[in-house]
Amino acid sequence: MTDERTRDRALDDTPAGPRDVPLDDLPADPARLGPTVIDGALRARAAHVDAERRRRDDLWSRGFTRRRFLAGAGMAGVAGLGAQLATARASYGVAPGTGTLVVVFLRGGMDGLSVLVPADDPHLPTARPGIGVPAGALLPLTRGFGLHPALTPLHNLWKVGAFTAVPAVSTPDISRSHFQAQDCLERGGSGTGTNEGWLDRVLDTLGPGTTFRAMGSNATVPRALAGDQRALAVDRLEHFRLGGGEEVHPQTFEALRALYTGVDHPISQDTTTTLEALDIARLVVAADLQPAAPYPEGEFAARLADVARLIKAGVGLRVACVDVGGWDMHTNLGTVESGAMTRQLTLLGETLGAFATDLGDHLADVTVVAMTEFGRRVQQNANAGTDHGRGAAVLLIGGGLAAGTVPGAWHGLAPEGLDRGDVPGWNDYRDVLAEVVTRRLGVGAGALATVFPGHRVQPLGVMR
Amino acid sequence: MTDDEPGDVSAVTGGRARWRRRTVIAGLASTGVGAAALGATRILPGTGDAAPHPGAAGDTVRRPADADGFANRDESYASALESTERIAATRSKPPRLLFDTAGEAAAATEVAAPTILDTSDPVLHLLRRTTFGPTPALVDEARAAGIDAWLAAQLSPAGIDDPQADAVVSRLPLALLEPDAVRAAIPRGELFAAEEYARATLARQIWSRRQLLEVMTDFWANHLNVTTPSNETWDNAASWHEGVIRAHALGSFTDMLLAAMRNPAMLRYLTNVGSRKDAVNENLGRELLELHTVGVASGYTEDDVRHSAHILTGRTVANDRGPGVEGDFVYDPGLHWTGPVTVLDFTHPNDTPDGGLEVGDAYLRHLAAHPATAQTIARKLAVRFVSDMPPGTLVDRLAETYLAEGTAIVPVLSMLFRSAEFWAAAGQKVRRPLDDAVGSARVLGVEPAPEGDPLVHPLLWWSGQMGQRPLAWPSPNGYPEVHAAWRSASGRLTAWNYHRALVMGWDEVPVVPPEELVAGRPQATVGEYVDSLCRRLCLQTFEPEHRDALIAFVGADASTPVAGSALPDRVQYLVPLVLDSPYFLLR
Repeated sequence: MTDERTRDRALDDTPAGPRDVPLDDLPADPARLGPTVIDGALRARAAHVDAERRRRDDLWSRGFTRRRFLAGAGMAGVAGLGAQLATARASYGVAPGTGTLVVVFLRGGMDGLSVLVPADDPHLPTARPGIGVPAGALLPLTRGFGLHPALTPLHNLWKVGAFTAVPAVSTPDISRSHFQAQDCLERGGSGTGTNEGWLDRVLDTLGPGTTFRAMGSNATVPRALAGDQRALAVDRLEHFRLGGGEEVHPQTFEALRALYTGVDHPISQDTTTTLEALDIARLVVAADLQPAAPYPEGEFAARLADVARLIKAGVGLRVACVDVGGWDMHTNLGTVESGAMTRQLTLLGETLGAFATDLGDHLADVTVVAMTEFGRRVQQNANAGTDHGRGAAVLLIGGGLAAGTVPGAWHGLAPEGLDRGDVPGWNDYRDVLAEVVTRRLGVGAGALATVFPGHRVQPLGVMR
Repeated sequence: MTDDEPGDVSAVTGGRARWRRRTVIAGLASTGVGAAALGATRILPGTGDAAPHPGAAGDTVRRPADADGFANRDESYASALESTERIAATRSKPPRLLFDTAGEAAAATEVAAPTILDTSDPVLHLLRRTTFGPTPALVDEARAAGIDAWLAAQLSPAGIDDPQADAVVSRLPLALLEPDAVRAAIPRGELFAAEEYARATLARQIWSRRQLLEVMTDFWANHLNVTTPSNETWDNAASWHEGVIRAHALGSFTDMLLAAMRNPAMLRYLTNVGSRKDAVNENLGRELLELHTVGVASGYTEDDVRHSAHILTGRTVANDRGPGVEGDFVYDPGLHWTGPVTVLDFTHPNDTPDGGLEVGDAYLRHLAAHPATAQTIARKLAVRFVSDMPPGTLVDRLAETYLAEGTAIVPVLSMLFRSAEFWAAAGQKVRRPLDDAVGSARVLGVEPAPEGDPLVHPLLWWSGQMGQRPLAWPSPNGYPEVHAAWRSASGRLTAWNYHRALVMGWDEVPVVPPEELVAGRPQATVGEYVDSLCRRLCLQTFEPEHRDALIAFVGADASTPVAGSALPDRVQYLVPLVLDSPYFLLR
C-alpha cells in the first residue's frame, strides 16, 4: 500500500484548483443581494459553497486520489466514483423552491383508535371497556370520526381546513415488529429498489438544493433519509456551533476542509456538509427569529421550533424529519381524563398547534405528516393497554389539504372484518405519501415509480 | 470486487446492485407465499364498498421473513449508503483465506481497499479493531509481544493484571454491589447504583488493560441490550452486566443466554414479569427470536412468537406479595402456560407447570445452538471487527466454528483473526462515537482524578452528547455499529467540541498537557513538531497535503523553527485538529 501511494503521488500533477473564495471576501453588505439580510447572506454563502465544491471536485477528478483509486480497483470503481461526483455536484445548486414536507415519526406504534376514533362503531366500547374514548368526549370531524379531546389544537386547525387524518393506514410489512415495520415504512417498501430511505429517493428526484434542503432534527440521520443525498442531522440549532478558540475558528474550518480533501470515504462528505451547515446555522441563530407562539417544554417541541425557524429563515428546507417516541403503550393506556395516552396526545397536539401558529403565513407552503409504524390491536389487553396491531392513523397538517374530509377506506370494527383482531391496512402509506410529495414537493408522476418501486400509486384524496 | 463470495450479485453488475439479501436459512425452506400476497394487498380508494378486504384475516402471511426486509437494523442502514458498498467492493480476492495463526494471516495478507491509514504494520490494524483505541505504549507492548502472543493474552484476560481499572472501579462504591446490597443502600427506584455502573463501564474502557474483553463486553451488552440506568435496572445493573454479560463475554453464548433469561433486568426490561398463562406478553418471546438468536431470516411465524412467549411464562421477579426475596428471579409455576409448544424445529409437550423452567432452558439451549443463531452472531462479529458489509464467506466460516465449538466465543474470535478478510479490511471502518470518546481519552492520557471522585462522569456526559453513552441505548436492539447509521453533522461537530474540551481542560479532567505530548520526539521545526504530534496521537504521519494543512494552520512553513513561531500559542488548538482528522476517525 505504502509503495503504491508513493508511486501515485509521484505521478500526480494536479494544478491548484480555482482559488478558494474566503468568506471574508463576501460583499460588505450582503443585504444588497436579497430582500432580507439573511436571504442575501444565504445567497452569498451559496455562491461561496458553489466555488468551494467546484474546487474540491476539481481536485477529486484530477488529483492523486482518483488515480490511486483506479489503480486499486477495476471498472466497478470508476462507476462508483462517478456516482459520488455526480451526487456532490447535483446538490450545490441554489434552487430553494417552495414548500416543505415535515415528517413527524411517532415511534412505538400509536394507537389510531385512541386518536381518530370511529365514534359510532358499536364494537369499540365492547372491545375497550376500560380505555375506549367515549363518543360524547370526542371532537367531531366527519364520516362518524372524532378526535381525542386532548387534540383541541388540531381540531382548531380542522375548522380552518388545515388538518385532516387518514384511518387504517399500513405498510406492506406484516411482522408486528417495531424494527421491521419502521424499516419498511422508512424505506418506502421492502423489496428491490428500497435500500435508500424513501425520502432520500425523493431528494434524488428533486435534484439540486441547498445545504439545509433535508434535515433530521436528531442526533443521527433517520432511516428515511439514509442514502447518498447528503441529508443533515442537526440535533438542536442553538447547540450547533464550534466551541473554544474563536480567534482561530476560520483557520480551524479551513484546516478541517483540507484534512478531509482527497479522502475516499463518506466521512469526507460528512465533514464538508457539517462545515457548510455550521456556517448557515450561525446566520440563522444570529437572525434571532423568535417563535411566534409558545411551545410546550421538551425536546420534541424544541426540535419542531428549530424546523419552523429554518423555514422562516428561508434556507431552502424541503424535507425535515422529527421523531417523538413513547407510543408503545402495552400497559395502562389510561382514560381521556388522565394517563399515558392523554398526556402524550396533549403534548403532540400542543406542539403541532404551536408549530402551525408559529409558521403563520408559511403554513400554506408546509405539509406535516405525522405517522407511526403500526396501530394497535382493537381489543384491549389484560394490562389495560394494547398490543401491536396493524392499521394506524396518519395525521396531516398544513396548506393544500382536502378540507373537511377524512379520506381513505374504512370498513368498521366488526370482528369478521379485522386482521387477526387488528384494524387491517385498508389504506397504504405509500398512497398517502405519494400524494403529499407530488403536491407539496413537486415530485413528478414518473418519479414516483422510483420513490416507491413496485407500487402502483392510487391517491386517496388527502390533498386538494 | 468481492470475488471471494460466490454468487454475490455485486461482483457481476458492479454498479447499483446491492448486498445480497439474507435468504431464508437453508433447511427452513420458504413456502414462497409471502411476496405474492404482499404485492396484492391494496384496495381502491373509497369509503363504502363492500368488496372483500384484502388486508383482512385470511390472506395475510404470518412470517416476518416474508416481508423480504433486511434481517437487522445495521444491515439495512449499511445498504443505504452506496459508498459503503463501494469501499467493501474494492476488495481484491486474497489468494488464501485462512491461516494457522493470526500472525501468519497478518504477514501474508495485503490490505485490499485504498486507505490513508498506514497499513505497513498490521499491529496498528489489530489494535484499532480489538481495543477502544491504540496508544503509543500499547503499540510498543503489542509489537514486543507479537500478534499471536498479544491476542492469546487478551483472549485469556484473567491472566492480565489490571491495577488501574480495578483501582478506579473500587472508588465507585455502589457500582459492583449485589442487588440485595443495592436495595439496602439506596432508596427504592433511585438510579445511583446503575449510574455508577455506567461510570465503571466507561472507566474500564479507558483504563483496563483487558481491552479485547472490554470490546466484547460492549458487543454483548448491545446484543442483549438492557438500557442502563433505567427503572428496570435500579437495583440489578451489576448483577446483569457482571453476572450475565461480562462473565460470559469470552465464554459460551449458551451460558450467557441461559443466565440472561433468568435475570430480573431482562425479565423486567422486556416485560416478561407481567406475562402469565391467561395473559401472555409476547415482548420477550419475540425479541428473543428476532434480536437475540435466530433472527427474522430464520423464517419463524407469528405462531412461533406466541409459543416462544408461552415457554417463557413463569419466569418472573419476586415482589413483596409472592415467594422469594423481592427483586430476585423466581420461577412461578402458577403463571406457566402448559401445552405442546413448537418454535421452528423445537417441540416439547410442556405438560406440567413445575417443568416449565426446564422446558425453557431446553428451548434456550436449542436456540443458542441453532444454525440461524450462528449466522446472526457470526455476522454481527464480522460487522464489529471487519467491515460494515462483511464478506459472506467469512460469516459462514465463523458460523461453522460457532456451531462446531458448542457456541464458544473464543474459537470464533480466533478464527476471525486467522482469516485474511480481517487483515485485508484495514481502514474501512469508522470509529463510532463511543470509540472516539474513549479513544481520545486514552491517547490523550486522561487520568482519574487522584483522590475523591475519579471524574469519570464528565467523560460519561460527553459520550452521551456524542450519542453513545455506554449501556444507554433506549431500545432492545442495541447501538448501531455501522457508519451509515451514525452519519450526522451534529455528531461530527460534537466530536470536535469534545476534543477541544479534553485538550483545553473545560471539565478539569486530567490529561497530558498539550505542550508535553511530543516530549522526547523531534520538535525543532514546525514540520517535525507536526509529524511528532501525528505519530503521538494517530500513530503515523499524514499525507503531504494534510500535513501542509496543519502547518498552514500554525501560520508557518515546515522548516520554521518552533521557537519564535506561533505554534506554542496554538498547540492547544492544533492537538484537537489532529484528533478531528480522518487519520483518527478511520480504523
